[in-house]
Amino acid sequence: MEQVRKLLDKISVEQIKIELLNTAYGNANTLLARLDPRTLFIWYLFFGIAPWFIHQEPVLLGMFVFMVITTVMSRISPLIIAILCMGLLSQAGYMLVASWFFGGNWDTIMPLAVLTLKLSVISLASVTAFCAMDPEKLSDGLLKVGAPAKVSFGIAYGYRMLPNLLDEYHHIFLSFRLRGKAPEKHGILYWRSVIYFVKIAVLSFYPLLLSMAKRARTTVEALETKGFSYAGYDAEVRRIKLAHLRMQGRDYLFLAVSALYVVLLFSLT
Amino acid sequence: MSLMKQRYVLTQSQKMMVFILSMSLYGLSNMITELIPEFRFGPIELSVEYFAFIPLTLCILFHPLYAAVGASLGEVIFGEIMLGQFGGLGELEKFLAFSLAMFIAGSLVRDPKNRRQVGIAAITGVAIHQMISSMVDIGKVWVGIEELEAVPGLAESVVVIEGVSFLNDVLFSGILFALLPTMYLVPRLYGKIEPLLGMKPRDNKMRYSIGQILGPRVIVLSIVAACGAFIAEFMAESDMALIEWDADFVDTYGDWFIWVSIGAAALVALVTILVMVSRRRNAGGKGVSHG
Amino acid sequence: MDEQQAVIRIDDLTFTYPGAEEPALRNVSLSIDKGDFVAIIGGNGSAKSTLCKTMNGLIPHFYTGDYAGEVTIAGLRTDEHSVSELSRHVGYVYQDFENQLVRPTVLDDASFAPLNYGMRNYKERGMQALAMVGLDASPREFIWQLSGGQKHLLALAGAVSLGPDILIVDEPIAQLDPCHAREIYELLRRFNEQHGMTIIVIEHHTEFIADYCEHVVLMAGGRLVWKKPVHEALNQVGELLCHDVFPPQVTQAAHRMHGSHGRLPVTLEEAEQYFGPVNGSVPAAADVLAVPELIRRDQPVVTTEAASFSYKTVERGKKPVLREVSLSFYPGEQVALVGNNGAGKSSLLRLITGVTKPESGSVHVKGIDTRRTSPESLADLVTYIYQNPEDMFIEDSIRKDVEFFLKARKVVGYQEKVDRILSSFNLTGLQERDGRLLSGGQQRRASLAIGVAMDPSIILLDEPTASLDIATRKDIVSMLAEVRRHVDTVIIATHDMQLVAEWASRIIVMHEGQVIHDGTRESVFGDPYLLAQAGLTAPQIVELSRRMGMQPLCYTVEEFAARCRAGREEEVARNGAGAQAIG
Repeated sequence: MEQVRKLLDKISVEQIKIELLNTAYGNANTLLARLDPRTLFIWYLFFGIAPWFIHQEPVLLGMFVFMVITTVMSRISPLIIAILCMGLLSQAGYMLVASWFFGGNWDTIMPLAVLTLKLSVISLASVTAFCAMDPEKLSDGLLKVGAPAKVSFGIAYGYRMLPNLLDEYHHIFLSFRLRGKAPEKHGILYWRSVIYFVKIAVLSFYPLLLSMAKRARTTVEALETKGFSYAGYDAEVRRIKLAHLRMQGRDYLFLAVSALYVVLLFSLT
Repeated sequence: MSLMKQRYVLTQSQKMMVFILSMSLYGLSNMITELIPEFRFGPIELSVEYFAFIPLTLCILFHPLYAAVGASLGEVIFGEIMLGQFGGLGELEKFLAFSLAMFIAGSLVRDPKNRRQVGIAAITGVAIHQMISSMVDIGKVWVGIEELEAVPGLAESVVVIEGVSFLNDVLFSGILFALLPTMYLVPRLYGKIEPLLGMKPRDNKMRYSIGQILGPRVIVLSIVAACGAFIAEFMAESDMALIEWDADFVDTYGDWFIWVSIGAAALVALVTILVMVSRRRNAGGKGVSHG
Repeated sequence: MDEQQAVIRIDDLTFTYPGAEEPALRNVSLSIDKGDFVAIIGGNGSAKSTLCKTMNGLIPHFYTGDYAGEVTIAGLRTDEHSVSELSRHVGYVYQDFENQLVRPTVLDDASFAPLNYGMRNYKERGMQALAMVGLDASPREFIWQLSGGQKHLLALAGAVSLGPDILIVDEPIAQLDPCHAREIYELLRRFNEQHGMTIIVIEHHTEFIADYCEHVVLMAGGRLVWKKPVHEALNQVGELLCHDVFPPQVTQAAHRMHGSHGRLPVTLEEAEQYFGPVNGSVPAAADVLAVPELIRRDQPVVTTEAASFSYKTVERGKKPVLREVSLSFYPGEQVALVGNNGAGKSSLLRLITGVTKPESGSVHVKGIDTRRTSPESLADLVTYIYQNPEDMFIEDSIRKDVEFFLKARKVVGYQEKVDRILSSFNLTGLQERDGRLLSGGQQRRASLAIGVAMDPSIILLDEPTASLDIATRKDIVSMLAEVRRHVDTVIIATHDMQLVAEWASRIIVMHEGQVIHDGTRESVFGDPYLLAQAGLTAPQIVELSRRMGMQPLCYTVEEFAARCRAGREEEVARNGAGAQAIG
């Protein structure tokens, strides 16, 4: 449990805030980041759906190569990609193992490999498309394609309030720790300590529910005085807010190149 | 629909408060569960999947639709977008499944002070959610692998793996992080949190006998009714605007460039559809011959 | 003519919150002229905020209770126009302004309202509002990186971004140090004089009312008692005290000496004239708070040796907040840590709790190195009481909160101990209530009781009197004496100079992470250069006695009045003797 405790000590609220900022706004200068959100949506809609219905291995492989290129171009943190790959491979792994109990054999590998390939293309497409957009761009883009105003409000509010909520949660959690008493014996696999900490993590939400309720009331009052109507943004406000979104030459170029590549893949196989 | 009429009515701003409350807290909890380490043995994992008790509690105490949608959106925003893991369409499916499950759970409870009702609603909510996710996962493999039935052992193993993880999630996360905390929180918060939002607690003047509340037919009917209610209310309340791909295409680029790119996109779409159709036809034909 | 003059008119207004039994406002009638600067005063629960929420239509549109009467704002009846229409005329800044900022970045938030109103130039309007409040932060800065004072300015910018005729500010200076507080009022005065805005503040600090406001509205129990010009209003000393409002210290002093005869002074400048020079030779009573040297010979309970600490910033750099602080604290001391926002007070307290460890140097508590032990085990020795008492409430009743520590350690007979603590902090009647649902003052008392129940030798308090009304503040100050009986050493970080003057036996002045002075109240408040350097303002009565050349300084109204009277009598006696000799 010492490790976990040390970890808990180390995860400072400041640290999390800093990491969040860097995750959100770290990739602003890549080529993909300069594209219009709608371009990225169209692009994602194709590469995120089409692979489900494509069963030619060479085409999938070609798409995978393309995804790897765009992923590298958008400078996504290797950690996220590693986690993604681990998840996909382990899932395929235990499906394979389980299938042996039901009479599977080495022939099972091939379809599983194809499935994994599809999933990789889809995941990489979403990672590239959505990590390239900073939160404002994503929320403007969603607003533009007709998502409810609540979604874009929610994203903005998240970036505004999360640090405060983390601080408050941290304080309450500390109050529990400092006034309570950690179990003296850790138990096998530290199960006693794990239960103790998880219990605190859950109980800390009781106070937080009440204080968040107080916050929500002021916030909604303020929203009302700031003219944020709940029926949604009217068309005029949407237009003014999104006036800066423009499809430009590079957007069309990017889509055209992608399309050309896909056509090429199909025609070669 | 009759279920909704029995609920008390909230003003728009009160619904907004419930929405913000649910979104922020469930979003925060999602970040925290990401930090808690997990223990994993194949499909069986002892991990803290989610703190489902937060949306459950709020759905039971307040307006179930707004609490449910708020929580799902909170998960997408805090747990995915802010951590740089937004997954596009996959999120939409999670969003709908989770909102629906929480909404049904909240609708099942008529008297927040009745612990048995609260408990049943909590575990039902988690079960519905896990059921939907399992079905979606199985569906993905089915769609993604050509001629699934032809591959020996795979179909069975997928079903078994999903079944095991369903049971694991319902029994582990469901009991520890939905059932117990919800039963602890709801009676404590009832009558206490509502005035903070400037509203009256849900009244529970309606009395039902235990049999009436717990009969399986009632539960099934309620779930069906709730699904309908959910969809209807969701459509009515959401302010989905018509998609506006508006005119800056033509405004700014009135030249040939647009037509080339649109033509290329149309071509890609056409090729894809053709491939899809031919694949389907082949798969269908083989399926019949197998049978 | 009348139409143009009165920008706010309330006629026989009665309002009951939904679900409440009693009306919150009863038969309130009020009219406020364009360009006025009005303070609304009254004790807790006198419905000051409720009154203000009728002025922008939140009542009756947002809170749909029973509503009778008529409110007209800038010619618009509030029950016939929506909140958003009314909000173009009325800006509102909340006491918990933190929650009214809803966007991630500075300019985004300042221009949010203009955008929602469909104004094409919303960004320029946002920039204009930021310039008006003089916020010195980049428009692209994240709100979470701003200090408390900057966030308040941003909330003000949001409120004025639509160019309202009326600006309502709920407790503008509750959480600010004295220097920033004055800046805020200077800003409000500019809005009032240069932009012609009608300003309405809810305020406990009558010193500021005297300096800046023109009219005062007194509320009590949902009724409007009166509206008077500021001078006349603050002269009603007896009536104000009755309603838990404390007039400026100089007014209280004059009232104590002369009763309510004639016109009492309300500002420092008036008081200087009013009291005139006083014979400075009158000796003060012995300083009861000064710590005898004897105590210092004991072992110190806390020592810090060249302790430094810094925060990480987003740019992955480090921002030092404490630089090589070396201090020792002894049993029996009542220490006040003072200094501006960001001087490092809270960081120093947190180092003592062991929750954070010094980057270099060391901190020892009762001989234990904080770096070598967990915060849990230090919790037996040190208790930290959060600035926000709500962070202390983890259970659903005060009693459970107080007993939490003792119960977790299975202390024998803890029930009786809890009973004793509850009764000594006047909480017996509230013990079954949830801490979060109590009033501000009750919350503070409960947080002190929770701290004392942990049976520490050192208790650390962060801003124990912040955002309390003056009557509740007095209550907490007397509770501090109760705390002192239970522990060895009390250390308080505070902006509240009145508390410092009345309570501290030792004052440590911090500035930019360093200790710039360590002494008694004489040495701190007698040194105007030191006060200026650290950005502090002495309490009014101390400042008055300094300006009048009284040696030593006076720290309370009572002391000031007594010494003035003694001085006068001596003077009269001497004059009398002189006259006789001449005669």
